[in-house]
Amino acid sequence: MALKFRVELVWQDEKDTASSIYLTGDARVVLQGKAITDAERAQLSLPAGGAMISVDRAVIRAIKEML
Amino acid sequence: MFLRNYWYVAASGSDITRKPFGRIILGEPVVFYRTADGTPIALEDRCPHRRLPLSMGKLVSDDVLQCHYHGLRFDRTGACVRVPGQDMIPSDARVKRYTVVDRYKWLWIWMGDPAKADPAKIPDYHWFDDPNWGAQSDYLHAECNWQLVNDNLLDLTHLAFVHETTIGNMALVEHAAVRVQRTPTGVQVTRWIIDQPAPPAFVKIGGFTGNVDRWQIIDFQPPSYIRLDVGATPTGTGAPEGRRVGGIQMRNLNAMTPETETTTHYFWGQAHDFQPRNPEVTERVFQQIKTAFLEDVAVFSAQQKLIDLDPDAPQIDINADSGGIQARRINARLYAEEQASKTAAATAAE
Repeated sequence: MALKFRVELVWQDEKDTASSIYLTGDARVVLQGKAITDAERAQLSLPAGGAMISVDRAVIRAIKEML
Repeated sequence: MFLRNYWYVAASGSDITRKPFGRIILGEPVVFYRTADGTPIALEDRCPHRRLPLSMGKLVSDDVLQCHYHGLRFDRTGACVRVPGQDMIPSDARVKRYTVVDRYKWLWIWMGDPAKADPAKIPDYHWFDDPNWGAQSDYLHAECNWQLVNDNLLDLTHLAFVHETTIGNMALVEHAAVRVQRTPTGVQVTRWIIDQPAPPAFVKIGGFTGNVDRWQIIDFQPPSYIRLDVGATPTGTGAPEGRRVGGIQMRNLNAMTPETETTTHYFWGQAHDFQPRNPEVTERVFQQIKTAFLEDVAVFSAQQKLIDLDPDAPQIDINADSGGIQARRINARLYAEEQASKTAAATAAE
């Protein structure tokens, strides 16, 4: 039976709040971020293909701290 | 691992009387009593002569505690004031005194640096003596490390399994959307169930005729204060935005005090805002939760037995552990800070 379980982790220090990191019942970690556009891919010479997002630095700090 | 510079619940206020009462707290023996005017006193529960617990003794004139073995007497500051059969009192004949405060019908003790004992830092458990709430508290002795209780209270999913026949059901796990918020001082685990039928117990208590918005909010403050805010209001009336009208609220209030590394004084209580002055309702609500808590206590002792058998046995973490893991990390950091500060103070003193 697939469990529809989801945990949202929110990390907040005195200055920053990192929202959101989702732990899902099917063992994924889903990050909330902003999709990278084709123009940004070209400008930053990012590899083609695959979905890409940019996330706030606070999210990365939170992942290191929380997971 | 014990955090010392915090307030801990030592006993129910009514447990402390003119009869000395002994209890181990953070690995230290402590004797409690009240002076003739009701002031609570806490002293080291170990006669410095032959180490008999002073709690086996009795109070004699002027609130002086007399050891049961050879009659040495100690005043409320812990100083020895009489040694039978001799005039001279050895200069180091004294026991440690602890700061204690009566609040929220519990007796709180400070086990750390006395200079840092600030009663303003006692966490809020006002529901126990708020006339707008009905409440009852209790004490359980848990045969486990105090952090196992923290883990349990910060995890909503065990309700479906440990409390299958009492307060849990599978819906709590299958459709759980849990938010774990790590704040600078603690952890908050939140779960909202919006526009769903009320569970039967809530219908009975709250008289709901339609769907409700339900919440379960667990607040952890280190080292081991855990307060659960649960309730329901008719759906769409604004509870998620903070307007709680026409519904019911309860608080499950917990404060764990380490006795030893493997045993815990578990103080808890249940408060409700419906029919607050009806003792029968208070008792019914309390007993329902107590049944569930006894199920938890059985789990704790079984866990601790296996931990003691092989402390290094591998352990995995799952999503549901997120709140407990954050609480453990905060406690580990605070412990490291306390130890570093102790070392720095010792170095400065040399």
